Amino acid sequence: MGEYKLEIEHITKVFPGTVALADFSARFEGGKVHALIGKNGSGKSTLVKICSAALQPTSGTIKVDGKAVSMRAPSDALAKGLAVVYQELSLIPEITVVENILLGRLPKKKGFPRISIDWAAACRQAETILQSVGSDIPLRVKVKKLSIGQQQVVEIAKAMSFNPSVLILDEPTSALARNETEGLFKVIRNLKEKGVAILYVTHRLHELYDIADTVSVLRDGKYVGSVEAAQATPQIIVDLMFGETIQRQRPQNLSFQEKVVLEVKDLSSGNHFRHVSFSLRQGEILGIAGMMGSGRTELLRSIFGIERFNPGGSIIVDGTVVKSPTPILMKKLGVAMTPENRKKEGIVEALSVHANLCLASLKAIARGNLLSKKREKPFVAEAIEKLGIKVADARNLISSLSGGNQQKVVVGKWLNTKPKIILFDEPSRGIDVVAKQQIFQIMWDLSHEGISSLFVSTELEELIEVSHRILVMKHGQIVDEVQAEEVSIDRLYAMCMEG
Amino acid sequence: MSENRVSVSRLRWDDYILEAILVALCVLLAFTAPGFATMNNVLNVLRNTSMQGIIALGMTIVIISGEIDLSVGSAVAFAGSLTAVLTKKLAAAGLSLPAAIAIAGVTTLATGFSFGVLAGLIRNKFKVPTFIITLASMTALSGFSMIITKGFPVSPFPEWFNFIGGGYLFGVPFPAIVFLLIFLLMLFLIRNTTFGRAVYAVGGNEEAARLSGISVFFTKTAALGLTSMLASLSGIMVAAQIMSGTPTTAKGWELDVISAVIIGGASLSGGTGTISGTFVGMLFLGVLINGMTLLNINQFWQYVVRGGLILGAVLLNQIKTMSARR
Repeated sequence: MGEYKLEIEHITKVFPGTVALADFSARFEGGKVHALIGKNGSGKSTLVKICSAALQPTSGTIKVDGKAVSMRAPSDALAKGLAVVYQELSLIPEITVVENILLGRLPKKKGFPRISIDWAAACRQAETILQSVGSDIPLRVKVKKLSIGQQQVVEIAKAMSFNPSVLILDEPTSALARNETEGLFKVIRNLKEKGVAILYVTHRLHELYDIADTVSVLRDGKYVGSVEAAQATPQIIVDLMFGETIQRQRPQNLSFQEKVVLEVKDLSSGNHFRHVSFSLRQGEILGIAGMMGSGRTELLRSIFGIERFNPGGSIIVDGTVVKSPTPILMKKLGVAMTPENRKKEGIVEALSVHANLCLASLKAIARGNLLSKKREKPFVAEAIEKLGIKVADARNLISSLSGGNQQKVVVGKWLNTKPKIILFDEPSRGIDVVAKQQIFQIMWDLSHEGISSLFVSTELEELIEVSHRILVMKHGQIVDEVQAEEVSIDRLYAMCMEG
Repeated sequence: MSENRVSVSRLRWDDYILEAILVALCVLLAFTAPGFATMNNVLNVLRNTSMQGIIALGMTIVIISGEIDLSVGSAVAFAGSLTAVLTKKLAAAGLSLPAAIAIAGVTTLATGFSFGVLAGLIRNKFKVPTFIITLASMTALSGFSMIITKGFPVSPFPEWFNFIGGGYLFGVPFPAIVFLLIFLLMLFLIRNTTFGRAVYAVGGNEEAARLSGISVFFTKTAALGLTSMLASLSGIMVAAQIMSGTPTTAKGWELDVISAVIIGGASLSGGTGTISGTFVGMLFLGVLINGMTLLNINQFWQYVVRGGLILGAVLLNQIKTMSARR
């Protein structure tokens, strides 16, 4: 113990338009669990992907067991002693635990032609591996029959079967129930004893004290520092994560009217969220804060009718009571939505900017279902002008635009329906700082025009900067409500995380 | 290949490669194939392509919307059979022949339309892919044609009925005129109506379209109903041409029709394709077959060449999109 299993030296990763990692250096000892934390976009996942060779660094070196390694493909990473277990499991549900652990490496029976599988040997190998991680999961059941926690352990066992020096776990507990987390921690402690260096990426501060030995913090693609877990108070960690927070261009004269335009009453949906009630006033920007899995996205999608909510709940839009919304109905009532996954749900990539901007308002633009370019043009031109969409020719494919401009097209598409309320689900995801600020400016401008926004974001600073009021959502419930101007980032972070 | 200009950045010469090759082929055949460049032959090509072409125009919309209809060949045979059988029964019941044919024809078109709508309903309700649904209806419809005709051609039609499939108007084959009219109608539908835009949106990204408040169900079902009805129309014209309802006609037409749509630049994954592209694709197939026949090329080799055309056209499109992305 004590020697460095993994040394990351001056790693830089540049993506078109952004620098994800800037001259990142850090060293990790064996026999310890190193928590790796940082807010969204701090470069955590890029770092993990570089360690697993899913991405190539622009420059810099990675050393395993003191030796510099060069890796071209994920299989190289495994061969050099780096194993990564991702947040989304990569197991094949329809085959057994044994086959999953030894996937592609099942032992064959001797003799010609070596094609039949030696199941006895396979079971012995898998058994040994599972025992070494301290687990008693049955070998011959299909993976789909296991709980998510057990699947996570199988995934770790599979990674450990390569005898890695470094094991990287990317948010392993994000989908686990509390008792499953405890089982997983046992496995991790067990591996620690074997001298493996474990990098543990997480969002959950309270886990750090249970499992981590050291806490390393990333911010804006840089290594900020690391502290012994025993000495890391929440205050120290939050300070490291956010640095000095600055209030940005929030306008002084943000205001809204008394009139309630949207009322959500006792909305519940399966195990996503329960008994959610709130109201939104005309021109108000209402933020919803909450970590991944808090139910915020599902709530927004249920309001727009993309997903169903349990009977009993209701949504009141401008006096109209809606019991089972659909996107078509909500559009009629003046509600719009920019979805979280822009590429999958927001835009039609095969179509032009022009066609995308008209997509939600075809019926409104047409006269008696008939369209013409002439009739569409003002709608397109106005959106491009008003939102500052950078496009040489509206006939260009939307896929040729930057993420920020695509997002503006999604907003523009909805502005053409003349909405009263817009639901923004992570509108700043994957777009650069300037575009982000422009999107916020649009939200403020809309507020002045009396258009209300419901704004979901993982980025707490954004919520504080943009919103009038913020609801705090945790484990599917709204647990608190704060005025954006009165809350600090650390306070809001703590509200979302605690408990 | 250019009516969807909103999705094309600007007019480029390589948007017209297929048209250029078609023109080159025609010039080549004019010099080498005896009788190719005669009025008679040109009209002949038009007549031969129009029966399938009518269906291909509808199929284009189905394919752009991200679906497929394999049952069109069987639907042609069924429509012809149904029209003939109904005409015979109604005439036997004492109706005049024109009235019997009119009622039979309208009933056939309505039946065809409802088959398409049924496929759309099943697609929407049970999420069964249309490939499977129409594979089933292709088989079943072929059986129904046999059942209602008892396996033999039924010929109740008077001489004048032949006009619909074999006649001439101002010297042009009547089916070719129908083909052109439907071509213009579909062009208008896809370019200038909300339905047309919805077709591209639904096929390009179904979820984004749904979240934009576009009815995915209506769009796809309308496309399927329309195509099924066009197949029935084609079936009535074929029956008029051969003067009988024959349960064994139009075998394998679905493949020719889909080939024409694909040659015309549509993608089976939906979202792209044009009506004019299909029109050119259909003509391409027709000219090629006609030319090879005039040149006395062996029937078996003709199939090989047609296969080559399909693959070649798709490769051409693929290379174009790949270089555009770069």
